[in-house]
Amino acid sequence: MRGIIFAILAGACITLQGVANARISQDIGTWQAATVTQFTGFILALVILLFARDGRKQGFKEVKPLYLFGGAFAAIIIFSEVTAIQNIGVTLSISALLIAQLFLTFVIDSRGWFGVIKQKMRLPQFIGIGLMIAGVIILKL
Amino acid sequence: MVIGLILAMIAGALVSLQNIFNTKVNQHTGSWSTTTLVLGMGFIASLVMGLIFEGADMFTLRHMELWYWFSGIIGVGVVICLVQATKLLGATYAISIVLTAQLGTALLWDSLGWLGLEKVPFTWNQLIGVLVIVGGILVFKLGGGNGTDEEPAKNAKPKQRKALQAK
Repeated sequence: MRGIIFAILAGACITLQGVANARISQDIGTWQAATVTQFTGFILALVILLFARDGRKQGFKEVKPLYLFGGAFAAIIIFSEVTAIQNIGVTLSISALLIAQLFLTFVIDSRGWFGVIKQKMRLPQFIGIGLMIAGVIILKL
Repeated sequence: MVIGLILAMIAGALVSLQNIFNTKVNQHTGSWSTTTLVLGMGFIASLVMGLIFEGADMFTLRHMELWYWFSGIIGVGVVICLVQATKLLGATYAISIVLTAQLGTALLWDSLGWLGLEKVPFTWNQLIGVLVIVGGILVFKLGGGNGTDEEPAKNAKPKQRKALQAK
């Protein structure tokens, strides 16, 4: 039960993040909003890291350098998401975002790109993507 | 409308890439080291993009309100909840619920227009659409076939298995 509550809160917070960014962007601009929210998040995470001391610092050296820059995508993610929310509303934005997210993950998993373990995609995954797209069309009817 | 959809899909594709990259970092470090790095990178990238497109305007924060400074905390909350949920439920179930909650919250927000965003009036079409999408997510994630994360070691080839055990 606790796991379910954490999962629901995580999902709610992810959407809330997009909405808050969209709201803040109206006042101070989109790049400014992205910069400010990432900055405060970074400071807080850094403080927690100093107390939690999880993991190993040397670990960073073992990671392929490209993967260390994943966080930089956030700039474009936030800009695109905020602009989408302002144009087409939260529900449609999040729906389209999730379809693209799951679809690309699905392609990467089935091709084994970026050294992920190759996974066979079967009928349920195709039906799932089909249902999601049908859902978006219903949203817009 | 089309531009909004395209932008949302660009965001989604990048989220997918980011998740994969972050997972790689996480395997070698830890979740707080990863989170700190990811948010730091996001901060630098946003600042650079802002300077490119807006120049010195980046530093004039008009109409700044106090709570804007604290919105970054939400991102940290996401990490805490995700880590706990995954630990307690396993990745597949956790992610299924997370995605469902994302959509549910989105519909709620549009209907109520909280935080002064433009209200999108609730219609039954929207509810049915969201339910069909959630159905799709559940079939995708729980329908089997896509043997995600549960026991990667079992399905991996011997060489990969060794690598996984080393982690």
